[in-house]
Amino acid sequence: MGVIEVNNLTKYYGKARGIIDVSFQVGEGEIFGFIGPNGAGKSTTIRLLLSLIHPTSGSATIFGKDCFLHGPELRRDIGYLPSEVFYYERMKVIDLLKYSASFYERDCTQRMNELAELMELEMNRRIEDLSYGNRKKVGIVQGLLHQPKLLFLDEPTAGLDPLMQAKFFQLIREENQRGVTVFFSSHILGEVQRMCNRVGIIKEGRLIEIADIRTLQQNNYKKVRVTADGLDAAFLDLPGVTNLEQQNGAIRFFYKGDINAILHKIGAVTVSDVTIEEPTLEEIFMHYYE
Amino acid sequence: MNIFVREVKGNLKSLLIWSVIVALFVTIGTAKFSAYFENPEMLKVLDAMPPALLAAFSMEGFNLTTVSGFVGLMFAYYVLMLGIAAAMWGSEIISKEERDKTVEFALTLPVTRSRVVTAKALAALFNCVALLLVTWGISIVTARPYSPDAAFYRFLALLMLALFLLQLVFLAIGLLLGCAMKQYRRASSLAVSVLLGTYFLSIITALSAKLDFLKYLTPFKYFDAVKILNESRLDGGFVALSLAIVVVSMVGAYVTYARRDLYI
Repeated sequence: MGVIEVNNLTKYYGKARGIIDVSFQVGEGEIFGFIGPNGAGKSTTIRLLLSLIHPTSGSATIFGKDCFLHGPELRRDIGYLPSEVFYYERMKVIDLLKYSASFYERDCTQRMNELAELMELEMNRRIEDLSYGNRKKVGIVQGLLHQPKLLFLDEPTAGLDPLMQAKFFQLIREENQRGVTVFFSSHILGEVQRMCNRVGIIKEGRLIEIADIRTLQQNNYKKVRVTADGLDAAFLDLPGVTNLEQQNGAIRFFYKGDINAILHKIGAVTVSDVTIEEPTLEEIFMHYYE
Repeated sequence: MNIFVREVKGNLKSLLIWSVIVALFVTIGTAKFSAYFENPEMLKVLDAMPPALLAAFSMEGFNLTTVSGFVGLMFAYYVLMLGIAAAMWGSEIISKEERDKTVEFALTLPVTRSRVVTAKALAALFNCVALLLVTWGISIVTARPYSPDAAFYRFLALLMLALFLLQLVFLAIGLLLGCAMKQYRRASSLAVSVLLGTYFLSIITALSAKLDFLKYLTPFKYFDAVKILNESRLDGGFVALSLAIVVVSMVGAYVTYARRDLYI
């Protein structure tokens, strides 16, 4: 049974599209990447799962319980780091964290202090005096202090400097090794590639692909570049070829299908150079969005 | 409890500002009263004024040279001030979470939405009661130099009870608007508009007997200070109507807040 199970979830804001017919599962202990550009529906999906908003149709369960009926109970074991962190401006960091901790049954003091130390948080400053990155750090501590079993991270690294980002990823990995399931939404593919086992790709509200990161890279597309004198790009326009373009005598394209078919085709002409490589996640991603 | 305490702390400044405003108003008002106190000349001046004008400013039916008459006159303004405070506290205590975008934090904690509404409603109620006690206290202190009799204190207590019921009405309407409206910017301005609208309606109602039926629509007409002075009790029907408005608004607030999408 998956920790998160989403079935045909659809959300319209009036007539505006949120997400359409999204279905996926996240298994226990998994780090699931959720990628897509701004406005694709990443945050909408997370907000639905946290029952901040209600679905137009479809259903979703977390730990086997309906998100919309058991939201408050489920949230005891959920940590959430929103893309933009807003807290009560007039409160001190320490008071805000204590306030947040007061909603959970277990004593969170020790974990709170550990996290604050790790994130180098200044506990006695007011929220309103903090920079964007420091607010994010408060968000990380606040989202983790109750030792949740499931974490929702919505573009978590925005505003963090590279040093903090590295610490943060280390922290998430440690949490994951303790069995915490992570739902990692981002548009930064490098970090998704580093952290996640599987990814879902969302485009204009629809989930267009769910795949293992390795499978996505190995089995999907090859990036091919052929240099040959007087060769016309149209010659290589086989089934399975996409993004075909010609530049300075070099022809580039993505190829999906039997690798022999394309090798035969290239073998028929005299070429000066050929490279065939796995695309980066970035390129796969761009491919989905064109 | 944690939400209640945080809200009370967060609203302390607003409560202090309102307390100062009310205290100043009562003090200045009473200072003017010193000119009326046991002054028959003033009665003549007032008698010369057109009755409609007196009615519009709820000055008819009071003997303004007595301290009871004067407090009865001030009652409408107390209702206006404390009503505005209640309506604003009610609507803002809910809608500010969306305005300040803190809703994504506050409502992803393991709390039900009804628990949030309850805690916030109680915090706003706490403010209303505190402001009422300030009003009552200042009224007693400022009336003391005119050595009022026991009947005055009873009258004042009844006025404060009426004031409390009206605070509840406007607080509940404010909470309902804060809970129901997704356009958080408009919730408190609409709450205050409703209050001012019903206030002007109460002035219009006073102008002609034909408009008497409108009195059910404006809480300002529910408890007439003159009647309270003469009958020494509140009108049971309007007490019931006030409580009914409170109950209906609160049910509406809980239901709409639980169902609607939060604005993020």
